[in-house]
Amino acid sequence: MRIPFFPPDLFEADRRVLIDLVREIGTDPAQTFLLGPRTARFETELAASVGADEAIACGSGTSALTLVLRAMGVKPGDEVVVPALGCAPLAATVLNLGATPVFADVDAHTLVIDPDRAAEAVTPRTAALMPAHMFSVMADMPRFRELATAYRLRLVEDSAVAQGGVLAGVPAGRWGDAGVYSFVQVKTFGLAGEGGVVVTDDAELARSVRALRNHGQRARFRYDQVGYNSRFDEVLAAFGSYRLPGFAARLARRAAIADHYAERFADLPGVLAPPPGSDGRCYYVYTLLADRRDDLSAYLAAHGVASHVYYPRALPHQPAFAHAAPPGARWPNAESAAGRMLSIPVHPYLSDADVEHVADTVCSFAARIPVA
Amino acid sequence: MLSEVQTPAVQAPPVPFFSQARTFDALWPVLESRLSDVVSHGKYSHGRTVAELEAALAAWTGAAHVVGVNSGTDALVLLLRACGLAPGDEVLVPAFTFVASASAVSLARGRPVFTDIDPVTYAMDLGSAAAAVTDRTRIVAPVHLFCQLADMAGVRALAARHRLTVVEDSAEAIGMRWDGVHAGLLGAGGVLSFFPTKTLGAIGDAGAVLTNDDRIADTVAALRHHGRAGRTVDNFPGISNATVVAGVNSKMDDIQAAVLLAKLAGLEAQIARRAELAARYTERLRPCTGVLRLPTVVARDVATRAVFYVYLVEVDRRDDLAAHLAAQGIGTETYYPAPLHLQPAFADLGYRAGQFPNAEAACRRALALPLYPDLADESVDRVCDTIRAFYDGTPA
Repeated sequence: MRIPFFPPDLFEADRRVLIDLVREIGTDPAQTFLLGPRTARFETELAASVGADEAIACGSGTSALTLVLRAMGVKPGDEVVVPALGCAPLAATVLNLGATPVFADVDAHTLVIDPDRAAEAVTPRTAALMPAHMFSVMADMPRFRELATAYRLRLVEDSAVAQGGVLAGVPAGRWGDAGVYSFVQVKTFGLAGEGGVVVTDDAELARSVRALRNHGQRARFRYDQVGYNSRFDEVLAAFGSYRLPGFAARLARRAAIADHYAERFADLPGVLAPPPGSDGRCYYVYTLLADRRDDLSAYLAAHGVASHVYYPRALPHQPAFAHAAPPGARWPNAESAAGRMLSIPVHPYLSDADVEHVADTVCSFAARIPVA
Repeated sequence: MLSEVQTPAVQAPPVPFFSQARTFDALWPVLESRLSDVVSHGKYSHGRTVAELEAALAAWTGAAHVVGVNSGTDALVLLLRACGLAPGDEVLVPAFTFVASASAVSLARGRPVFTDIDPVTYAMDLGSAAAAVTDRTRIVAPVHLFCQLADMAGVRALAARHRLTVVEDSAEAIGMRWDGVHAGLLGAGGVLSFFPTKTLGAIGDAGAVLTNDDRIADTVAALRHHGRAGRTVDNFPGISNATVVAGVNSKMDDIQAAVLLAKLAGLEAQIARRAELAARYTERLRPCTGVLRLPTVVARDVATRAVFYVYLVEVDRRDDLAAHLAAQGIGTETYYPAPLHLQPAFADLGYRAGQFPNAEAACRRALALPLYPDLADESVDRVCDTIRAFYDGTPA
């Protein structure tokens, strides 16, 4: 049995639809390939799916974060509070605007940014808080909303991995002044190329993001501000509209797999699963904390199960970001997690037998009993 | 009146400013097979097809390295960064060009310093560029517009004199060569845009950096994928490589790479067809009242190769002509209605109207006519007849 980490034949069932869409758009007499009517329709559908006033599709989730930060006026000298564990764009988007990421440690178990550590990181130069949802757990957004209000800060919700998650009745992406989703194929709502979206109810922010994604253009060839090329293409938009109705079922399958894992992994020695429950969960990736992580990874591989170490280092320990962190500072939970985390397959195309095999293999490793 | 019966007016078919629909349809069998391979391989960005396109473009252009990214704009931003542009460094950029030629400098956190243009090539005027050099100038970034290269001998001499790095905005210049060397390879590096209307166009955004410099190529490759070191194209585990630089996500889609690979096989023929159409325009518009300038490929001391990406004319009463053509179903584009030094986005740089007279004059008179391989000869004739009629005051 071989179980890849991500499905290798993601859109096999959609092969004909996808290829036909490319032909339809390539030969459409309108010859509109970017930000056209299909994108507008997809934006409307996305906005409706999470109850947002505005959805602005752009080149990628990373780019979506950049556009939001720019639209909020983040500039050189500003600080943005970000998690000490996570994906590079959390720090890179801030640095590329000339601002400084201030790293706050994460919770030891949920691995999302700790609101108390974030509060301690606020200074007079702080322009925004940027919590991120990680793997399968949403950040403590009610607390971050309180903090943003109390300190009068902008709240950017890095919900790139969490489309479809809901916390206390509010969808991921809808807690911040703006949220983002990424459509790179591995995400919960992955598409057949790079793309992302900003969701917001803030009309002014939306207007600014719309201009910024297309060179800062207000009217044809009239540029009010220096903008980016971060546009969405019609093929992905049409494919997105086609895939959206099936999204809920795929999310439910992910949740069912994760529930099964949670049950099987409840009391394993040396292997800690994410906290059980469904509120504030979105199963992009299912990540264990294992004392003997590399052994577990090798054991899984020997039994045909691919696993992945997402972040072998805390963000402030990446060579690109170390200069932004205070010398000698530590982020104990992020550092510990970086040495122990291991992600296992949770995608919706796993069969029940696949899931059972993954669970059996993890359990047998923990019990040191060889799998038959 | 001999008859009260009106014959129905024969409606001439519209001439859109751009279409690649016929080319696309003709390529479909090849393209379908390539797209099918993308689906079978299952990686939709930064995958095997992107790697194949990079290799094919390297062979086609002669570049040691081609790094595929999400757009020509991104390519320029990442190239400028890889060339060591630091915050506040000045970059010489012509005032008459697409906005990205200058906004890329700002996005890389440098400072664009504008120059006037040569009135014939529309490229950077070297006297104006020399006058704009300061002790903070690091890079000279000529732009190759429409059909020919900037005066690269002059650019290189200026760069040598002031110890500047040459970065070519060759976004429009695929196929153009200077003394046998492809555009983008005459300095530290250059870029290609595969925006759909380009000579080699995708059906979405895509771009690439061209360079012969190993270090620049490595840095651009890291920058496009979140600053990650090492090989990441078609290599998923590479996402855990160390983050060595504050990068971006500028990965190219494999669907776009598949379209580009399918079109690349016919690129020489498409370039030849563009040249034919351009010659037809020139023949029919010379002379024509009201048409003040036709594209002129300048002879250089070395052999150069022109590629007609855009057929740009300068005309009297430009906006009236564009409106008239539009009313007749003929699409045009105004490249460019305002020079960059007068765009609100660059107002903080403190330029005034009148500083770059050639750029400002071109903005008042320049108009791009439909030019693409799918365009029929008869459509060119119709465009020319309609222009003539407009200035002669006779019905077309």
